[in-house]
Amino acid sequence: MRKEYRPMALGFWGIGVPLVVFAVFFCKTPAQRLTVSLSAAVFFLVGTLIYRAKQ
Amino acid sequence: MKLAAVDWIFIVWYFILSIGIGLYYSKKAGKSISEYFLSGRSLPWWLLGTSMVATTFSSDTPLAVTGIVIKDGVSGNWFWWNFMLGSALTVLFFAHLWRRAEVVTEVEFIDIRYSGRPARFLRGFKALYLGIPISCITFGWVTLAMVKIIQIIFGTSGVAALAICLGLTIFYTTLSGLWGVVATDMLLFGVAMLGSIILSVVSVEKAGGIGAMVEAVKALGAGTGKDYLSVFPPLGQALPLAFFVALFVQWWAVYYPGAEPGGGGWSAQRMLAGKDARHAVKGTLWFTIAHYVIRPWPWILTALAALVLFPGITGAAPGEMEAAYPRMIAFLPKGIMGLVVASLFAAFMSTIESIVNLSGSFLLNDFYRPFIRKNASEKHYVAASRVLVIFVSLLGAGFSYVLGSVKMGWQLVMELSAGIGLVLLLRWYWWRVNAWSEITALSASAATAVYLKIFPDNALVRGLGRGLEKVGFRIDAWGVGILLIVAVTTVAWIAVTFLTKPDDEVKLLAFYRKVRPGGFWGPIARLNGGAYKLQAAPFLGWGLAVLMILFLLLGLGKVIFMSFGAGAAYLAVGGLAAFLLSKVIAKIDWEGR
Repeated sequence: MRKEYRPMALGFWGIGVPLVVFAVFFCKTPAQRLTVSLSAAVFFLVGTLIYRAKQ
Repeated sequence: MKLAAVDWIFIVWYFILSIGIGLYYSKKAGKSISEYFLSGRSLPWWLLGTSMVATTFSSDTPLAVTGIVIKDGVSGNWFWWNFMLGSALTVLFFAHLWRRAEVVTEVEFIDIRYSGRPARFLRGFKALYLGIPISCITFGWVTLAMVKIIQIIFGTSGVAALAICLGLTIFYTTLSGLWGVVATDMLLFGVAMLGSIILSVVSVEKAGGIGAMVEAVKALGAGTGKDYLSVFPPLGQALPLAFFVALFVQWWAVYYPGAEPGGGGWSAQRMLAGKDARHAVKGTLWFTIAHYVIRPWPWILTALAALVLFPGITGAAPGEMEAAYPRMIAFLPKGIMGLVVASLFAAFMSTIESIVNLSGSFLLNDFYRPFIRKNASEKHYVAASRVLVIFVSLLGAGFSYVLGSVKMGWQLVMELSAGIGLVLLLRWYWWRVNAWSEITALSASAATAVYLKIFPDNALVRGLGRGLEKVGFRIDAWGVGILLIVAVTTVAWIAVTFLTKPDDEVKLLAFYRKVRPGGFWGPIARLNGGAYKLQAAPFLGWGLAVLMILFLLLGLGKVIFMSFGAGAAYLAVGGLAAFLLSKVIAKIDWEGR
């Protein structure tokens, strides 16, 4: 992991967590739930990719 | 609109994250000008490309696209989609040259390319021109749009929220330089896209679902004689001049922030900050895909939903059409509303931070350092940079009060720089272009634009309009104006180029050996003992890049509108073009040694 990328990774994970909460408790329709859940997954994935980036 | 406690919690959390990321880099940024304005030239392609697209995605952008779709349908977006041709050109022909140039700013390019007093004058002039009025206009129109959004969401009391947001953004940008800018851009783009996607999903749901919405929009179009869903404008019996000008002229002729011919402004800054030429190329390619293919569809969907949900909006004033976008936020459930509001702040912040950092770079590197205080320490220049960033921020905020409208801002910038693109492209590939060429292009373009503003119905305009009608165009004032500005500017700068002496050979040879461009460098190539060849592969790559962007854009649209067969076909073509492009890019020697 490159140290200078760490804040970005934390930022993405930091947004991903509340997205999971929103998907579970605040979405009103299946389409909203799916969109927010997928978004959470994308944020976690991007955060992880940044965390593991070598360059 | 009323935000619930959970909305506010998310908004505050978003600000804590983004500002925390920004402030983390303040120590690193303070080490040198190279760190402060170029992140030490160490950015990987994915970071520099995302930062480019985050900067171009501002608070006004979804509003502008909403207004375009409501007024002219999806095809109205060719007003800016045409720039994809220029972006693809930058990827294949200019990104690697910028990185090889190893300057700090696009204005410093003047110092390594041209010689003599005209070059010094041009450098100082452009530093002040781009660093102050252009940045103020851009800052102003972006801020005006955010004020409009906040007033719709929060009411007039929300302007205090904007001031806090602006203050915090300037604070961390001042301290952390480009490192803070690009790192926050990464998150800000993600949040901005998240908000626009969620808003589009909820808007389409509210409009009855994608099928019902499409039928309703078609019915509306049948009633008004417009095809809102067509990606290409109706040609009819006469070719609309505006479309022709957008497709064949605007993208190479007009200097527009974020779409500068051959790269410039913040896009050049990111290319210069890349690890090497290959990263500059790949990052610019990623920006091009994200900017033209991925960004617009959520906004387009929201705009189409607005057509259905706000009857009569097609007859509203342009400002009301644009305001339909933030009005859709009222349909969001709590929690999700806060998320989308945060996304609009994200879009705003990502642009503002780039503008002030970039303007600071022009004023420090191309005015203060060469003309006011030479040979000071890096510590001094970093401190001066921070002062200049605050200075341009205050100027920009003040200008926001003076600027009349968002559209006025866009128009001002476009019109002043409508004809200068060609000289910016050719200066890399033709040795004969000199500082007088650029000075003439800038002057002629601005002078013609001002003349057309004062005398809009002059003989030249009437004559050109009649001629274009005779050959089958459906003319409009904008298209005729752009053609006139480009024609006058091009004739003027080429004439002056041949009437003035070439640049100093020593300067040209040094530039030629450093940047290693191909093209028309005859006498300089002979002095060099051999020419650097302009390869054929970039031309093929350019064609493939344009095909890729176009077919992916169209394919995504087809899939969204549930034409899955056509969508799959378009996406397959776009995918094939992408695959072939990747092979072409892999084969090109981007360092050119």
